[in-house]
Amino acid sequence: MSLLAFAQWVQTTGWATALRGSWYVYPIILSLHLTGIAVFGAMILTVNLRLLGVVMPKRRVADVVDQLRTPKRVGFVIVATCGILMASSKAEEYYYNIFFWTKMSLLALVAVHALVFHGSVYSKAAEMDRTSRIPGRAKLAAALSLLLWISIACAGRGIGYIEPPLDKLHAQLLPIHTHEGR
Amino acid sequence: MFVAEANPLNASPLIFPALECMHIVGFAVTVGTIALVDFRLLGWGMRRQTTGEVASDLAPWTLFGLVSIFFSGPLMFSSDPDMYYLNRSFQFKMVCFALAILFNYTIHRKVALGGGSEGLGIAVACVSLLLWVGVIFGGIFIAFV
Repeated sequence: MSLLAFAQWVQTTGWATALRGSWYVYPIILSLHLTGIAVFGAMILTVNLRLLGVVMPKRRVADVVDQLRTPKRVGFVIVATCGILMASSKAEEYYYNIFFWTKMSLLALVAVHALVFHGSVYSKAAEMDRTSRIPGRAKLAAALSLLLWISIACAGRGIGYIEPPLDKLHAQLLPIHTHEGR
Repeated sequence: MFVAEANPLNASPLIFPALECMHIVGFAVTVGTIALVDFRLLGWGMRRQTTGEVASDLAPWTLFGLVSIFFSGPLMFSSDPDMYYLNRSFQFKMVCFALAILFNYTIHRKVALGGGSEGLGIAVACVSLLLWVGVIFGGIFIAFV
């Protein structure tokens, strides 16, 4: 099965069709996506800016990194669940959307970032407090994480600006008034 | 309509989305930092610090987010004032936003910095979270009503 065929199949499942057909379900899920972004985004910013010594410099690194881990993960689950629901409802359209693929590529880089830095930075917060100095590696990890997530937010906003290629789409499109752009 | 046509904002198709990105990052900082204080009030996180410590540590960042919101928001509004002014969802958002700001810098602040019982803290956190979620829903529905 090609990726396009997969996208078309996902989009025709019952719940993806139902999501697309209702004028209010989609914006509710989008609003929850944004609510999750506020929580998750603030956790990402606070943790990484603590590593850079900007936010909460008076607090121990471990206090910030370890205590925010759970709310950060809860926020991520909300954002990802809503994101997957929305992407499924418009899977075929998003197959042709350059910003969607930009966002997915950046998310793949987030996974790489986690593989590289989780063990050596984010799970070593207590050690940084003992030496009372934040290593360059941690600062690099923080800066890259911030750059990645802000780019992801901007690419996500870009998705709504790409017009779907009407000549290529099979599934029934959204009602006219539920456009996402402006 | 005159304002929208004369506004240089509408000259480039990139300015509006750039402002939106600024708005999204700004609101995530503001709402997220306030939510963190609310989570502390609810006892969900940062329990090694007092609510007062969390609130005073994050207050400058809440303000930083507000500055980017107050920069980008009115500019976006100016791109099509007639549409926004008459949009029911926008009206709802502005009411929630005014209440949320007012609440944040009065009762919320006072309780977070160490006033009142645990029960009061929980009530204040719930009101705060509800108002901000109202702002977010109101903002998203502008494009759908």
